[in-house]
Amino acid sequence: MRLHLDNFTKCFDGTPVIEGLNLTVEDGEMLALLGPSGCGKSTTLLSICGIYRADGGRILFGDRDVSALPSQRRNVGVVFQNYALYPHLTVEENIAFPLTVQKKRTDKAEVARQVREIAELIHIEALLSRRPAQLSGGQQQRVALARALVRKPDVLLLDEPLANLDAKLRLEMRSEIRRLQLETGITAILVTHDQVEAMSMCDRVAIMDKGEILQIDSPTEMYRAPANRFVAGFLGNPPITFLDGQTAQEGRFAMAEGLTLPLPAHLRNMPAGRPIALGLRPEHFGHGGAGQASGRVTFVEPQGREMLFDVQAAPGVTLRSIQPTRDDVAIGDEVTWSIDADRMLAFDADGRRL
Amino acid sequence: MTRNFALFPLMVVIILVSLPLMTMYGFLILDTFTDAPPGELWPDEFTLRHWRFLWDMSAAGNVWMATLNTAVLALSMVAVVVPVSSLAGYAISRLNLPYRRFFLAGILVMHAFPAVTLLIGVFFVLKFTGLYNTMIGVILVKGALMLPFGIWIMKGFYDAVPWEIEMAGVQDGASRLTVFWRLIVPQVKPGLVALSVFAFLDGWGEYLLPRVLAPGSEMTVMSVLLNQLIAGDDIGFDFNLFKTVGVFYTLPVIALFVIFQNRLMTIFGGGTKG
Amino acid sequence: MSSFADPTLEGARSSRPSRARRAPVSRLGLILMAPAMLLLTLFFFLPVALTGVFAFTDLSTSTGIGRGDYVVTPNLLRELGDRGMSSADLEAVSRASVTVDAETIERARAAGVDGRFLDDIEGDFLGRSFDAPSDFERDLRRLRTAPRRARDLKSAAALFETSVLNQRFTTSDGLSAKLETLAPEVTPAARAQIVDASYTGARFTTENFERLATQKETARLVANTFLYVGATLSLFNVGLGLFLAVVLFYTPKGMSSLFSTLWLLPRITPVVLYAVMWKWFTWEGGFLPILAEQVGLPSFNYMKGSVVTAWATMITLNGFIGASFGLILFSGALRAIPVQQLWASEVDGASRWQQVRRIILPQMRWPILFVTAYQTLSLLSSYEQIWLTTNGGPGRTTTVWALEAFKTALSNYTGNLEYGMGAAMALVLVVVGLVLSLIYLRLFKFNELVGRPKIEI
Ligand SMILES: Nc1ncnc2c1ncn2[C@@H]1O[C@H](COP(=O)(O)OP(=O)(O)OP(=O)(O)O)[C@@H](O)[C@H]1O
Ligand SMILES: [Mg+2]
Repeated sequence: MRLHLDNFTKCFDGTPVIEGLNLTVEDGEMLALLGPSGCGKSTTLLSICGIYRADGGRILFGDRDVSALPSQRRNVGVVFQNYALYPHLTVEENIAFPLTVQKKRTDKAEVARQVREIAELIHIEALLSRRPAQLSGGQQQRVALARALVRKPDVLLLDEPLANLDAKLRLEMRSEIRRLQLETGITAILVTHDQVEAMSMCDRVAIMDKGEILQIDSPTEMYRAPANRFVAGFLGNPPITFLDGQTAQEGRFAMAEGLTLPLPAHLRNMPAGRPIALGLRPEHFGHGGAGQASGRVTFVEPQGREMLFDVQAAPGVTLRSIQPTRDDVAIGDEVTWSIDADRMLAFDADGRRL
Repeated sequence: MTRNFALFPLMVVIILVSLPLMTMYGFLILDTFTDAPPGELWPDEFTLRHWRFLWDMSAAGNVWMATLNTAVLALSMVAVVVPVSSLAGYAISRLNLPYRRFFLAGILVMHAFPAVTLLIGVFFVLKFTGLYNTMIGVILVKGALMLPFGIWIMKGFYDAVPWEIEMAGVQDGASRLTVFWRLIVPQVKPGLVALSVFAFLDGWGEYLLPRVLAPGSEMTVMSVLLNQLIAGDDIGFDFNLFKTVGVFYTLPVIALFVIFQNRLMTIFGGGTKG
Repeated sequence: MSSFADPTLEGARSSRPSRARRAPVSRLGLILMAPAMLLLTLFFFLPVALTGVFAFTDLSTSTGIGRGDYVVTPNLLRELGDRGMSSADLEAVSRASVTVDAETIERARAAGVDGRFLDDIEGDFLGRSFDAPSDFERDLRRLRTAPRRARDLKSAAALFETSVLNQRFTTSDGLSAKLETLAPEVTPAARAQIVDASYTGARFTTENFERLATQKETARLVANTFLYVGATLSLFNVGLGLFLAVVLFYTPKGMSSLFSTLWLLPRITPVVLYAVMWKWFTWEGGFLPILAEQVGLPSFNYMKGSVVTAWATMITLNGFIGASFGLILFSGALRAIPVQQLWASEVDGASRWQQVRRIILPQMRWPILFVTAYQTLSLLSSYEQIWLTTNGGPGRTTTVWALEAFKTALSNYTGNLEYGMGAAMALVLVVVGLVLSLIYLRLFKFNELVGRPKIEI
């Protein structure tokens, strides 16, 4: 079901945390809400499910305006960061809870059947008689998913579902959740501050900061063409390096510290003297291209398959490069590596991409 | 604790400080089945004579009836305080009440507030409502005076239940009442148990209210009976008998305390007594 | 798609917070609160209000609780005379006279006087009154139906005698009218004074507070209360509590739990038994006096025998109950100190005393303040233990404010319970208690205790 937030506003104690936010999630799409801590992701999510009341704007499920409906009647499934399983109930009772609290009397056999069905889908048939305290983090996560899905909700909301898991389980659950979402075809929103999670699990990513959505796009498009400096800085690991300077003669870029580089092709004919910032991703340094920079290697971080190098190109200017592991460069070496100038990102003084 | 310091001086100090209490409680037990010659401290004779009040109603009055009455008072306290506090505690902890801050401040003030100073006012309320000299009046008053404490304790327990449980319940389609009853109450069972035990003990030991608010009531409770025993100085003053009746009276308290000691500790820390 | 500011919406947006909706009131919340509110209103707020009201009355056993009557008693007249009312007026009021009216005839009929005789009396004398009973008797004797025997006649005549003395009137007008007929020469002003003074019910007055402010006893009560609260609090609730907590902190677990349990006993022991134990401990024939005698020290009833020992007993027996509160709180606070701090100081070569002095005590400041705050209130108002042990004696030397209030209003042996005075004394405590607890709310950052509900539906 299509989900639409129309000019949605939420205040706490009269101070707006989110103002006039617009967001559409298409039917069957999985969208990531990505942003730094405190930017309002959870607030948005809890407003969609009705825990918080919107202070302005509308929330639409399909064509239905649910803004005034209480949580109980919105038919939304939610998975909380700490799973919020009911500790005194068994896994089976946990999953059956949404079915049994509904007013209409569902018969026991039907409830049991539905619970078993969802348990099979999520691979937790063997755990049904246990209590939450007897489950591992990943198993609890699965139970929470099962409980959220058993009611066949219109929308599935996941608030940092993987944050409490260790690295390996996180990988496993990442694909598991995506599989479930695709299999059930449910519209879903995933709240996370982990960009890898967002990019790997979702059809589109919405980047939020300070209660505003800065950009919504597919992961690759967003990485390739971020709308502004914040988005560019937020995506990418190791992160992009920003170089603050000015346009110079002959389509070049110069920094006060002394480093000069060619401007990206589409900006070559900018007049000189404009303050701009260039963003250089580590994979575009040392992999061929029109520009080049030289300096001393100040830091080497082996990551197994790849290596990370910090190169001091001018006093106070450190460029970062990621390259396949090589052992011919060590700390203190002087290197001259190419820069793929055309793929550098450029931002104006307000942070907007040029 | 750390091992760098000598233990022995500490033992000496703590034992010295505790000596009066140890003496009092030691002799309390000892004196229930021994007799000492007049003017002597140490008993020279074993006897079960002091326990005769259990079958001889002329020794100390009808202790069994009084015990029953005390139990009724104590259980009624539980029946009043626990449900009322757990409902109100939940509302104050979790629900959107008008003037909620005001409620909370009020409960906190009342919790710290010396309720016994209200006894004169309470006396008149009972007179006007016709509850004076009835056990029901005593139970209601005692319960009401304990409520701020009970509500505050229960609020603490509810506060400790994660909000997400509640949110998940609402999300699963349950009404707030269902969430409260089926999801939240099971989480605060330790609190309910602790508060129940505490209310029971408080009712069991109560002396002032039955004595002042129901002096003519048919229902004599143990505390009043024991005190009458001491106050009535007609026949020879028999401390050992009083102590034995007192020990009999206190046995359930000790038993409950031993069973629930750890749970009670948290509650005593928030208590207002003494 | 990005939500860059749309200038046309700017105005509309900035106005939005002002009409931010409040979360709706939870009806369920009100329902759940209802039983508590009912009980608290009846037995908490109402008593506070009644205490406040009765503090300004002279309500007592003799005035009774209900509405009073108007009664002129010989006592009252004597009092009025002392206050300067003329003896002629008093004489007139206390004078008996004989009146024949419907009321007195009815009274005589009820007393069994012959009906025909009464009919005759009614026929001849209705509406008349006689100054002297002897005149009336003389006139009666002339009636044909009059009883033969002089004694019968005399007792029948006596039934027509009326006097305001000791007669109950429910309204002031009733008494006033009666006075006017019986003693017409009394001036209206004097009559009003008599009527006013004859009211037996409670009346509003500030006399209680005037008495409290002027009587010498008040100063002693206040001093006693300060001494009691201050000494118990500093020596036991805080002093001993902290001492025990620190010592037990350094002892092995088994022992420390044994002793904490021992120190909790006074708190869980029913107060009556606790009092019995102290009586056994301190009365003659009890533990301490026997012990003292054996080692040649003065031996007497320490609880009631001398002022000093009575105070010591009272403070100790209350302090032993209070120490456990401090013990529990301080122990909790001690356990919260990171043990690395202690190890570090030991590595630095600190002695135990230095460790306590430099590391532990500075971190106990808040718990100490809390215990002090909390226990001040409960000590101020506690009197049950004192009542059951020294009972304020010897004399009134260990009587504290709360005990005196309680005794004045609810428990004394003279039989006249002065509710109004007791309420006035209790009101002082209520006000002190309220002020203190509000200060504590401030002190202990009440605001941080209050989280807003996170579900807004
Ligand atoms: N109940 C509340 N009362 C007042 N302010 C709140 C409340 N809940 C959240 N906020 C504020 O709203 C802003 C957004 O909070 P929110 O929880 O939505 O952030 P988030 O993006 O989920 O962050 P995180 O990644 O840390 O979970 C924060 O500045 C927070 O302080
Ligand atoms: Mg969040």
